[in-house]
Amino acid sequence: MSQPEDLQEPSGPAIGQDEWVARHGERRSRRSGWIGDIEERARRAPWWAWLVLFVAAFALLPLVSHDGYVRRVAFETALYMTLALGLNIVVGWGGLLDLGYVAFYAIGAYGYAMLSSPQFGIHLPTVVTVPLMVVVGAIAGFLVGLPSRRLIGDYLAIVTLFFLQITQTVLVNGDQIAGHDLTGGANGIINVDPFHLFGHDIAVQHEGVFAVAYLYIAIAFFAVVYVALHFLNDSRTGRAWRSLREDALAAEAMGMPVNLLKLMAFSFGAATAAFTGTLFAAVQTSVFPLTFSFALVITVYTMVILGGQGSLAGVAVGAIVVNVMLEFLRDPGDARILIYVVGVLALAFAFGRTRKLAVLLAAVVIFGFVAHAVAEAINPDWVAGPAANGFDQALSNWVIIPTELANWVGPVSYIGLVCLALALTLMSPRWRYVVLVPTIYLGTFVWENVLLAQPDATRYIVLGVMLIGLMILRPNGLLGERRVEIV
Amino acid sequence: MDTFTQLTLNGLTEGSTYALIALGYTLVYGVLKLLNFAHGDVFMVGSFIGYGILKVLGGAGDPQVPVWLLLTLMVLGGMVGCAVLGVAIERFAYRPLRDAPRIAPLISALGVSFFLANSFQLMFGAQQYNYGIFFLDGGSLYTEGFNIGNVHIPLIAIITILSAFALMVALWLLVTRTRTGKAMRATSFDREAAAMMGIDIDRVIVFTFIIGSALAGAGGVMFALRVPTAASIGFVIGLKGFTAAVIGGIGSIPGAMAGGLILGFAEAYIAGYWTTRWSDLVIFSVLILFMLFRPSGLLGQAGIKKV
Amino acid sequence: MRKTKSFPLFAAAVAATALAATVSATPAAAKSTRATAGISCSKTLDIGMLAPLTGAAGFLGQEQLSWAKYAVKTLPATMGLKVKLVPGDLPVEKGQADAQAVAQKFISDKNMVAVVGGSTSGSVVSTSTALTQAGLVQVSPSATRTTLTKGDNQQATNAFFRVVPADDYQGSTDAKYMTDVLKVKNVVIFDFQEPYSLGLGGEVERDLKAAGVTTSHQSVANTVTDFSSFVTKVPSDADIVFFPTQSPGSAEAFAEQLVQQGKKAKVFGGDGSNGLGEFKAPGSYISSFAPSITGFAADKAVIAGWQKDNKGKPVGSFGPAAYGAVQVILAAVKAACDKGKGSIAKRSLVIGQMRKVHIDKGWILGGKFAWSTTNTRDPSVTKFYILQIQGNGSYKLMN
Repeated sequence: MSQPEDLQEPSGPAIGQDEWVARHGERRSRRSGWIGDIEERARRAPWWAWLVLFVAAFALLPLVSHDGYVRRVAFETALYMTLALGLNIVVGWGGLLDLGYVAFYAIGAYGYAMLSSPQFGIHLPTVVTVPLMVVVGAIAGFLVGLPSRRLIGDYLAIVTLFFLQITQTVLVNGDQIAGHDLTGGANGIINVDPFHLFGHDIAVQHEGVFAVAYLYIAIAFFAVVYVALHFLNDSRTGRAWRSLREDALAAEAMGMPVNLLKLMAFSFGAATAAFTGTLFAAVQTSVFPLTFSFALVITVYTMVILGGQGSLAGVAVGAIVVNVMLEFLRDPGDARILIYVVGVLALAFAFGRTRKLAVLLAAVVIFGFVAHAVAEAINPDWVAGPAANGFDQALSNWVIIPTELANWVGPVSYIGLVCLALALTLMSPRWRYVVLVPTIYLGTFVWENVLLAQPDATRYIVLGVMLIGLMILRPNGLLGERRVEIV
Repeated sequence: MDTFTQLTLNGLTEGSTYALIALGYTLVYGVLKLLNFAHGDVFMVGSFIGYGILKVLGGAGDPQVPVWLLLTLMVLGGMVGCAVLGVAIERFAYRPLRDAPRIAPLISALGVSFFLANSFQLMFGAQQYNYGIFFLDGGSLYTEGFNIGNVHIPLIAIITILSAFALMVALWLLVTRTRTGKAMRATSFDREAAAMMGIDIDRVIVFTFIIGSALAGAGGVMFALRVPTAASIGFVIGLKGFTAAVIGGIGSIPGAMAGGLILGFAEAYIAGYWTTRWSDLVIFSVLILFMLFRPSGLLGQAGIKKV
Repeated sequence: MRKTKSFPLFAAAVAATALAATVSATPAAAKSTRATAGISCSKTLDIGMLAPLTGAAGFLGQEQLSWAKYAVKTLPATMGLKVKLVPGDLPVEKGQADAQAVAQKFISDKNMVAVVGGSTSGSVVSTSTALTQAGLVQVSPSATRTTLTKGDNQQATNAFFRVVPADDYQGSTDAKYMTDVLKVKNVVIFDFQEPYSLGLGGEVERDLKAAGVTTSHQSVANTVTDFSSFVTKVPSDADIVFFPTQSPGSAEAFAEQLVQQGKKAKVFGGDGSNGLGEFKAPGSYISSFAPSITGFAADKAVIAGWQKDNKGKPVGSFGPAAYGAVQVILAAVKAACDKGKGSIAKRSLVIGQMRKVHIDKGWILGGKFAWSTTNTRDPSVTKFYILQIQGNGSYKLMN
């Protein structure tokens, strides 16, 4: 965590230190009671506390669950966490909007695939390939970062995005480069070797179940990167990056080698991505160009923004939250619960533990039952949609789920919901409170009938909304620091 | 020679669509200094609105109104619908971030782009939608027209190109001859000074979004008259539109028009004479070179930013 | 000033809940895959389905799902079994990481005995190893890539079967039809920079070249819908453009642009262009791995029943193949149940029974079904059907 440990009161004006900045710690107001205590302790915890927490959680997971699916999801989460750490360097510390980040991930994966597969007949040992790809990634990042010396903000974003497009084009058409098959083209490279460590080939599956070894390797990768980045952050380079991010011009005026710093940010980020890419290729045992798409970029960005740009632990937490949420959204059965849990939590957070919240929830529930009864009275087919057992059964008595949806109902209700939600932000608080009730109910209707029907599109809609919402409401994410922009 | 004529026609039709999108990018960048990533998806929404209007009025097989009226309604509907969408995007996704660090509205724009593309995929599926203009009025839009050599220039192409040019001319007149246009130019030159001169910045920005999005909407309908549309085309079209804007010089209106046409011709000739496989690569590389060595584009001016 | 609203706590709460929920939200039946103490055939068995239910190829997966659902609804009762269909969505745009995760989900399901799929050849490559290791047999209704079951470097495992013939047959059937019946001299082959068209187009090109036909090749990205410049490059004396797109809308647009630019070539699409009502340019051709089953008198009852459940939807050719896959799976499961006297000791026993399956009566795709004698995981029927689009938009069988 990158916050000052020293929260004691300064004994008097310190020479050479801005008073306002020095008292920054005091201005954090404490929540009362035991929550405030816990927060203070959390803030004062040593930097490795979070790391130990993550590693322990992931290491103990296989003992708790023998389910191959859970382990697989945990593995992917660990991969994403490492990826997010890398993006954090470029975006969170360097302040550079790198939209082509995933291209380095692809370079790492494809590089490993080319060196450890029947593609060229080369089968380099893992301990050679992985560090090699890290170096290659760093060089690639350096090269891509070269244009960044002359470009700012939006332009850099576009150039990096185009770099991603170029990478994709090359990968897809790579089987036709001057008559040679370099990347396997659209068919990709298959039969990639798994990792070979301590003299053993580590198989990806045992009797079909995902191998625990790779989960441990993934978390080890994460830990290595986390530790390395922490020390990097605490060093002069880290401080230089922070100053670069806050105000590049001032940093330059102070004599920082701004260009070199930008290049270093790109390099380290790319190296991390390539590092992760090798593991990805080994576990997938194949690489395809379609995987490394812009959608993946957006996913990793959401993780970084949600977790808090600039905060290592935050970014990891963001990765966990986003990936778990996306897994829930894969299956309509699992995803159903998600909206209710998250919705209630969000409302609780927004209103606090007040009477208003209780009244609101009660109103929504009553409204729901009333609407359901009315709909049933008009036409029983409107509420007779499929429902499963238990909680789902109770729920189906509350939400309106028709057996069949006329074509226009979906789009109309969805657009209606979006308009209502936007209108809510424009209303006065009292009206907002009232209109919130039907909006929530319409929301559950749209969720059950429209969004769940296409979990794939829903995933990205949620990501998109999260990005917009986070930027407007809480740009520092969960654990990040609020940026101070001095104009 | 015939190939050249045909390719030139292709380039002209594609290019005029790109020019319309590029104009939207340029206008918004001028006043907000923001690259509106969602612009390509507004284009896509326009094409869907046109499809909706077409279906409501009976579809291409059996239209309830004369062909001219049908096409006009589709384009107008697309323009109006997208204008509303553009205003909404500005109001809810960009305005709260006007004073935030530059990275914030960019990320918000990414979020909006994703939200739009996937919302439409949610509502209408990921498949392609064909206007079916080929069958409209017994195919008259395609069979009528004139010939240059062996190449037939169909009526639909003429309509598309002329309408696009008409819109561009109208825009040019708007920006150079009216007071609102002057206000837009002033705001894009120096926002704070313009505010101090008494120009209502909010209104100017909203107006810019209206114009830019309306152009994108018109472009969307005209694009879909010739080729199928789908919920996912926004991303690539947005990239192409941005390429056109940068080549022509971002912030310059004639530049955007020129850039669009150049890009259209480049794509057509590269695909026609060389290979289609690497045409994207060539174009993107050219753009990167432009941005590195001539960021002001062909017709833009290198600006000096005072700190 | 910054008021802490216990966001870190909120984050921790969410993360903890999520983690706990993930651990506990294991798929329907079981929490552990250790105990494989036999699956009783009197309980409800699960059959998984791996298909693209959303995304660009979603129309394909949804069609297959509707037919598979109908099969699972009507057939098990006649065999004394209780079966539930568990769909898994693998959109083609998502890539292979998702495929493996869904495969893991199926593997953890203790009651699962077989999998219909993957529908796309790419998803088969990603999931076959894991599923086979876990003992789950896979029967695909539409993965036609040749190298999945043939050749030296087979991409699928020996527990993968398919009920439709492979691309090499499609390629050679198409090429033969073009040379023998259409008597072509000049053909343009397109590929869309993705595996299906690369494979199929490659086969067709090879066969045509061997027969002495002039061929040229164009490559276009999958996302392109504006083909005007590609159409310009089509030689004016080309007879056929082989266009194996997976989007009927693209095929239609291309055909229209051919006419518009005055080219005489006709579009010849693969099974991915098969879309009644969408691809309707008269004179174009489609090759499909399954005939339209509306022509088979024996299937009338099945079609009627399916149409009752799926009002207003046309009977395509992708869907009935999925029905066929379920037929084959149920036959194998029943045989395993009978052999094990009411229970299946290990899932992998179904694989063994699958090899012996043959269906003499009621095979949805007409006639009888048996595995090929030369390649035991492909069907014995190797016919591909060529359809031509008539003036009124209907499809007519030509061979």
